Amino acid sequence: MSPELEKCPRSLLVCEKSNFLNEKSQHDIHVSKHNFNYKISVLMPECGILPANISSVINSFSPYYLVRDLPVYELLEESFLESLVKKGNFNALSYNTKIDEDNSIALLSSGQLILSLDKDTYEQLGLEGRPSLYNHRKAMRFVVTLDLTDKSLTPGTKRYQRVLSSLKDRLPLRYDFFFTKYNTGADEDKTLHKLLSQYSYKEHKPAVSHHTLKEIPCPTLYPSDIQGKTLSCDPHHFLEWLGAVNLDISCENAADSFLSTYVCPEPQSSVSQALLCTVTGFISPENVFVLLQELRQYFDERRFTPWVSLTVHGFMDSGENFYNLVYFKNQDYWLHMATGAQDGCPP
Amino acid sequence: MSVFMDLNIISSNDKNRLRSIVETAAHLGYSTVAINYVVEPQQKKQEIPKPQNVSDVLDKFPVVQGKSSPVKVLNRLTIIASDASHFRPTNEYKSFDLVAVYPKTEKLFHAACMTFDVDIICIAVAEKQPFHFKRAPVNGAIDRGVFFETCYAAAIRDTTMRRYTIANAISLMEVCKGKNIIVSSGAERPLELRGPYDIANLGLLFSLSEGDAKAAVSTNCRSVLLHGETRATASGVVYTTKKPKTPQKQEEESPISKKAKTELA
Repeated sequence: MSPELEKCPRSLLVCEKSNFLNEKSQHDIHVSKHNFNYKISVLMPECGILPANISSVINSFSPYYLVRDLPVYELLEESFLESLVKKGNFNALSYNTKIDEDNSIALLSSGQLILSLDKDTYEQLGLEGRPSLYNHRKAMRFVVTLDLTDKSLTPGTKRYQRVLSSLKDRLPLRYDFFFTKYNTGADEDKTLHKLLSQYSYKEHKPAVSHHTLKEIPCPTLYPSDIQGKTLSCDPHHFLEWLGAVNLDISCENAADSFLSTYVCPEPQSSVSQALLCTVTGFISPENVFVLLQELRQYFDERRFTPWVSLTVHGFMDSGENFYNLVYFKNQDYWLHMATGAQDGCPP
Repeated sequence: MSVFMDLNIISSNDKNRLRSIVETAAHLGYSTVAINYVVEPQQKKQEIPKPQNVSDVLDKFPVVQGKSSPVKVLNRLTIIASDASHFRPTNEYKSFDLVAVYPKTEKLFHAACMTFDVDIICIAVAEKQPFHFKRAPVNGAIDRGVFFETCYAAAIRDTTMRRYTIANAISLMEVCKGKNIIVSSGAERPLELRGPYDIANLGLLFSLSEGDAKAAVSTNCRSVLLHGETRATASGVVYTTKKPKTPQKQEEESPISKKAKTELA
């Protein structure tokens, strides 16, 4: 067998242990950096119904809009820039574009507009960018990053005019976009609606679903043992089990079942019920942060379960696309991040 | 990285079957497919089939899954050549977007790599390779921008052919070092198609590196298309297009003026 076949593309699971009360804790930075969230699932063992405070937070997640055929230059439009982009808390992502096949556009809440373009589009558009890190022999993919909050890109400057003319005249790019905003005032809403009304759009609210699982075995996790050496179970197995629970895959490993041989990792204990709550949609990182804070207060009342898990999934074709937080009673937390073969190790 | 393409879907007279194959390809995520007309010129005079107009085959192009644009369908010609006289670039070749040749002997393989005006050279998948690949013609082809193609549908149909496909592919990769390779289906039925990421993984079995394997389904296919387009141009720089005829009134023909003689003083 050739030597290359023996090496599988590597995947990396980074596990970090810290405490929320620790000043150097990076959980807030990590949440805010993970800009585009598609699905959040919360698993609470020994819990029957969703506590009222968490339920109200989830129901107050901001709505998201799907706009069809929006030209990209509209994101640079003056009043739009002033009200929504510069104030922060506005996210946009192009819809139905695959990042490794065609052009993808993303607007982050920090005010950065990122265009991930294939070679032909990049050369036709004429904006300055750099080759992507995921290139093979020849550079086929380029990334153009425009910091819209930067002084050089304020409306009226030469650079702004150039960018606007490239996107408007030289190569008018139009895509379907997802928009979401967080905690914006009435003025900003008015500007957003003025823009949206010129194109066909639809407002959606993130879809929430609850599921109470009865009599399931649950892995035991101790905050001090993140590697799973003695008291807790191994993190790979834990995440695999978590995925199986989310997808409703049976973990009984019955002898006559050919479909699934997943088992609950050892050590385990049986719980009478567990609550799985899933929220799907285009969710802004600020909303995730509010939910995270609310979950921390879950342990303030006396609870039976020693741990609660929050999994956040990003979009399928991005590089590192999910992270998992496990909370414990003593405000300790574990953060698991998974990366694919080509990505670097997350800090 | 460019869009995923499958450049070998065997054409058939059954329109429904062709339609379902193209729909399956679009569903799997291929943005471009090419319908392959295979010709084996055994007799002296063999007609090259005229490619059907693509919009005749499909009234509505299916949208590629995960994107909002419809699938692009091209026409391709493959000549199975066992003699040098079989490959004669005539005007009929010009009506196809891509031209491929399947050489059966070593001399023809050498000629195809170095001189023939083709875009793709097919590698045997259903039988043991009758000749070994030599570095000189393969490198010559790579320099000219000609690509080598491996099909995987035969590997799906039969286990013996699976062995031949993998063995032939590995021996080619040893010589060309993973450059200028495309992997396509050669599918006659919709069930013989596989998704682009799966084919990129199949490339790993052919001892391609990860990046090369993904390029074999995306970037290299794009290069093949561009190479095919340049066949209709002068050195790839000058294009000619037909100017649309604008309806004009019948004007009186002005008398043809004589060209002024230029005196070379």
